[in-house]
Amino acid sequence: MPATATEERAEALRMIRDSAAVVVPPDGGLGRVRGLRFTLPGIDPAVWRSMGAMGWIGLRLPEEAGGAGLGMAEACALLEELGRALVPEPLVAGALSARLLAAGGDTALLPALLAGESLVLTAWQQSADSLEAPGDREGARLFIPMAAAAQAFLLPVREGGALALYAVEGVRPETRRTQDGGHVGSLLPDLAAARRVAPNVGEAMALALDEAALGTAAYLLGLMERCFAMTLDYLRQRQQFGKPLGSFQALQHRAADLKIQLVLTRASVEGAAAELDAGATGDARRALVSRAKARAAEAAMRVTREAVQLHGAIGYTDEYDIGLFLRKAMVIANAFGSAALHRARYMRCASHPGAA
Amino acid sequence: MQDLSLDELAALDEDGFRRHVRGWIEANYPLEVRHPTRRLHWHENRPWYLALSRKGWLTPGWPREYGGMGLDAARQLVMIEEMERFGAARVNDMGLVMLGPMLIRHASEEQKRRFLPRILSGEDIWCQGYSEPNAGSDLAALRLDAADEGDHWVLNGQKTWITLANDANWIFVLARTNKGGRKQEGISFLLLPMDSPGVTVRPIVNLDLHDEFCEVFFDNVRVPKDMVVGEVDKGWNYAKALLGFERIAIGSPKLSSSGLARLRALAAAMGKDKEPAFLDSYARFSMELADLKALYESYVERLKRGEPIGPDVSILKIVQTELFQRITDAMLEIAGGNAGLLEPMEEGLHPAGSFLLARPSTIFGGSSEILRNILARSVLDLPA
Repeated sequence: MPATATEERAEALRMIRDSAAVVVPPDGGLGRVRGLRFTLPGIDPAVWRSMGAMGWIGLRLPEEAGGAGLGMAEACALLEELGRALVPEPLVAGALSARLLAAGGDTALLPALLAGESLVLTAWQQSADSLEAPGDREGARLFIPMAAAAQAFLLPVREGGALALYAVEGVRPETRRTQDGGHVGSLLPDLAAARRVAPNVGEAMALALDEAALGTAAYLLGLMERCFAMTLDYLRQRQQFGKPLGSFQALQHRAADLKIQLVLTRASVEGAAAELDAGATGDARRALVSRAKARAAEAAMRVTREAVQLHGAIGYTDEYDIGLFLRKAMVIANAFGSAALHRARYMRCASHPGAA
Repeated sequence: MQDLSLDELAALDEDGFRRHVRGWIEANYPLEVRHPTRRLHWHENRPWYLALSRKGWLTPGWPREYGGMGLDAARQLVMIEEMERFGAARVNDMGLVMLGPMLIRHASEEQKRRFLPRILSGEDIWCQGYSEPNAGSDLAALRLDAADEGDHWVLNGQKTWITLANDANWIFVLARTNKGGRKQEGISFLLLPMDSPGVTVRPIVNLDLHDEFCEVFFDNVRVPKDMVVGEVDKGWNYAKALLGFERIAIGSPKLSSSGLARLRALAAAMGKDKEPAFLDSYARFSMELADLKALYESYVERLKRGEPIGPDVSILKIVQTELFQRITDAMLEIAGGNAGLLEPMEEGLHPAGSFLLARPSTIFGGSSEILRNILARSVLDLPA
């Protein structure tokens, strides 16, 4: 790519990052996030509307489908910023629904979803750790993030060799609270009350799930970057034995190790996004996404865990913000597949040039 | 097979490029030994060096104007992968991956014209005189004395841990040309032939029972004044730049990549390659290797764009060397009784040799501990 194209791309990424300021307070305060914790529906509809107005929900959709036609690199840059701010509005899940509706040619739910006027969530998951939609007609649909905020749900349903898409409105899923102050919902598909949107969204589903997994990895990357920066600030300021904590070599080396994890996660996530944008498909796409998601999940847990430890007792208080990062990581590290799931998938999908 | 020009090579897509590189290596690799389990000496790897030299493929990363291939990072990685896949031996590459790039950035035009072509032709094989008995991790404490005698310096002192000095006909050294001021000041970067009167080499046998490292003694060795790179007394800056290149070179996925292929071959030989425990650890290593490659590519791109290499390159070196070590740890674990064999258990499979080969990589070129200090201070801005 010529330097100018590279620079143009970098500029586009900078712009999308800057645009995140619409929902991320410039002072970095987490007051809004705290205020929404353990409330229902747990998100701010006004923020969801501004996400729609900014074109984020349809960021990846082509312009003729009402989207912004941007790449995975842009999506990841944006989600990284949202992760830094622990934003609770479910952009990854909403964008996944938008992909399915667009693939199914829907005109009933998609416009309001893209505008942020409504939230449509997809009830695809049937087991605790999964990145595939089996589409059973009767199996319970689980772990729908922020389900109480949704006006409609999409149900992928297996019909012969195809994965049909149904939509239901006005159902109230059962919810369970999660460590980050949000909740997950579950529901039993009632196809009699559902509208059949499209006969086959199998391919779109697989792509949307991969993009959601990679987007979640980017969110985790932002989350751990901020958490690590806060920890470094603390190590510079906090004095013990008459010296800043950060001057002790044992702690310096732990900080260096966390930095290494951050750098590797960034290389993995940004590399995967760039390759998807360059046209990676099939097993190549799955291997890239799985590598990034496995790395991000493990690194995020390690960074947030160590951040609490490096803060000492204050890190174990609910009042201090560092714990918010750990609790968010606990909820989404396994969303769209745990590290173990993605390792296994990587082994199935990756080509192993060294193995010849 | 066709002999493609650099432009024709550049016009191939990545798969075509890979096939071409693979085909050429298979047709032209001149040595008996593949997947060597120790560094080969110059008299052993010379035919391979010269074959690469004639082909113009010795320096994929150098700009074309200096005789390099000027490849982008992705294609440099393809070349590394294909060399490792085939099991091609590592050559005496100090001039290729460390001194050359440093000269290209910091040396005078005259020095570039004098030294770069001789590196490419194999006439000059370089070694690196940095460490001293009392200046290892604390490299800036070095004391090799360079006394000013008008049109030349006179060197007295000792360097140590010099990789393959017993193969080299030239050495670059850091010497103290000025004793005042901070220890980082007053160091100069000098070039001299190994056959200069007063230079003595003594090989050191390492844990692998191999004479890979040497001590070099300097007894009233004369070095002409035009053999300084850059400014006198400012050598620490060039030394650091060269350490950056060294850390990128050590951070190359070469060793981890070939190590992982060996691990898989070993598991197959031991009948363990289908065991879930092996597959899970193999999956982890594969993914870490892929991340390492992505990181390496980003540094090679920075090199290619001529950007300075900052202290964060330590991350690359730590990641590669520690991954390589863990891969070879795993080799010992699955090798059973073969783990302790002095000789290869079969051709190309030598778990003990690989394990020992991996040991020094976290010590030389900045130990993992020193690199973590550098990261903490210079990258993370933690207090002293």
